[in-house]
Amino acid sequence: MSDFVIERVKTGIPGLDELIEGGFPRGDTILIAGRAGTGKSIMANQFLYKGATEYDEPGVLVTLEESPLLIKRNMMRFGMDLDALVKEKKLAIVDLSPSKEVTPMKIGEYPSFDLSGLEAIILNHVKKLGAKRVVIDTLAILAYKFRSRDILREEFFKLAASITRAGTTLILTSEIPAHHDGLGVFDIEAFLASGVIVLYNEMISETSRSRSIEILKLRGSKHSSRIHSMRITDEGIRVWPAEISSGA
Amino acid sequence: MADDAEPKESPEGEDTEEDGPIEVVLFKSNSCAFCPRAEEVLRETLTDFGGGFFVLKVINVSENPEAAEEFGIFALPTTMIGGVSVTGIPEPDMIMKMILGAKVSSKRGASK
Repeated sequence: MSDFVIERVKTGIPGLDELIEGGFPRGDTILIAGRAGTGKSIMANQFLYKGATEYDEPGVLVTLEESPLLIKRNMMRFGMDLDALVKEKKLAIVDLSPSKEVTPMKIGEYPSFDLSGLEAIILNHVKKLGAKRVVIDTLAILAYKFRSRDILREEFFKLAASITRAGTTLILTSEIPAHHDGLGVFDIEAFLASGVIVLYNEMISETSRSRSIEILKLRGSKHSSRIHSMRITDEGIRVWPAEISSGA
Repeated sequence: MADDAEPKESPEGEDTEEDGPIEVVLFKSNSCAFCPRAEEVLRETLTDFGGGFFVLKVINVSENPEAAEEFGIFALPTTMIGGVSVTGIPEPDMIMKMILGAKVSSKRGASK
C-alpha cells in the first residue's frame, strides 16, 4: 500500500467506524477523553479485545490506575475475557498501577528524568507479541505521580512517537477533571493526539443521564461533527451513528 | 559503563542483616540523558560514605525492561534504597536520608 494512502484500523466499537471513514488511521495516536464514568476505559479495552479476537492484532494494555484484576473483572461483564487473551499471548497487561505492592514509595523527585523506562517496557511487549495496538490508561494519573509537568509533556510526545513509529496504533485515555474546560490535566492532550474522541454522560433530567460521543478531531479523515448517542450494553460500547444526541 | 551486577531477587520485604551492606539500586537506560550523571553522583556519594557498607546494583532498563516493570519503575533515573525511591539526579543529602532510613528499618527488622 502507498505511504500516502491512509490504512484504517477497525475500532471494534459497533457504529463508531461509520463516523470516521472506516476506522482510526493506522499508526496514529488517539485520545479518548471524558469525565469519570463516561466509559473511556471500556472503549479502550474493547479496542484491544476486538483487535485481538476479530482483527488478528495483538495488543498491549498499560494500566497506570486500575489493577489488572479489576480491569479483567469489569471487562468480563461484557463477555470479554482478557485473561484468556493474555494466556494466548494476544494481549499483554503492563501493571504500573498503585496497587502493585513491590513498587517502592517515591519520596523525592528532581526535574531531571525522562520516561525512557516506560518506553522500554512498552516496546518490549510490542516486540514480543508483535502488537499492533497499545493503550495507556490513563494519562491523568501521571500528573499526580510526578510534579514536573513540563517534563511529562515533552516526554509524552517522545513516547507517542516512539510507539507509533512502526505502525502501532496508540490510544491514550484522559480524565477531564470536574469544572475543567480542557481535555485533561496537562492541557496538551489535544496536541499530543492526531485524533480526539470525547465521551459524555450528561444529566438530561433529574432522574436520568444520556451517554454520547463526539469526534472532536481526526486528522486525515472526514468525520462526523455531530454528537452521537452511545450506550454501554451487555456486549460493550455501541454507538448509534444515526442518532444525534441532545444530551451533551 | 557496564552494569555492575545483574539484578538479583527482589530486596523488597526482606530485612537486610543488621550489619550487612545496604543495597542501592539505580535504574537507568541507554537513551536517558540524565542517567550517567545520576550514576556518577551515586558512586561518589557512596564512596564518601564508606564504600564497604553498600552494594550498588545498576539495572539498565533498555536491556532488562522486565526488572523495571516488576518494580513499577518507568521514570529514569530512579534510585531505590530499602523500599523507597527517588527520581531524577539525586542530591547527596537525599541519598544519605534514604540510607539512614534503610539502616533504621533494617535494625528494626533485626530486633523483631
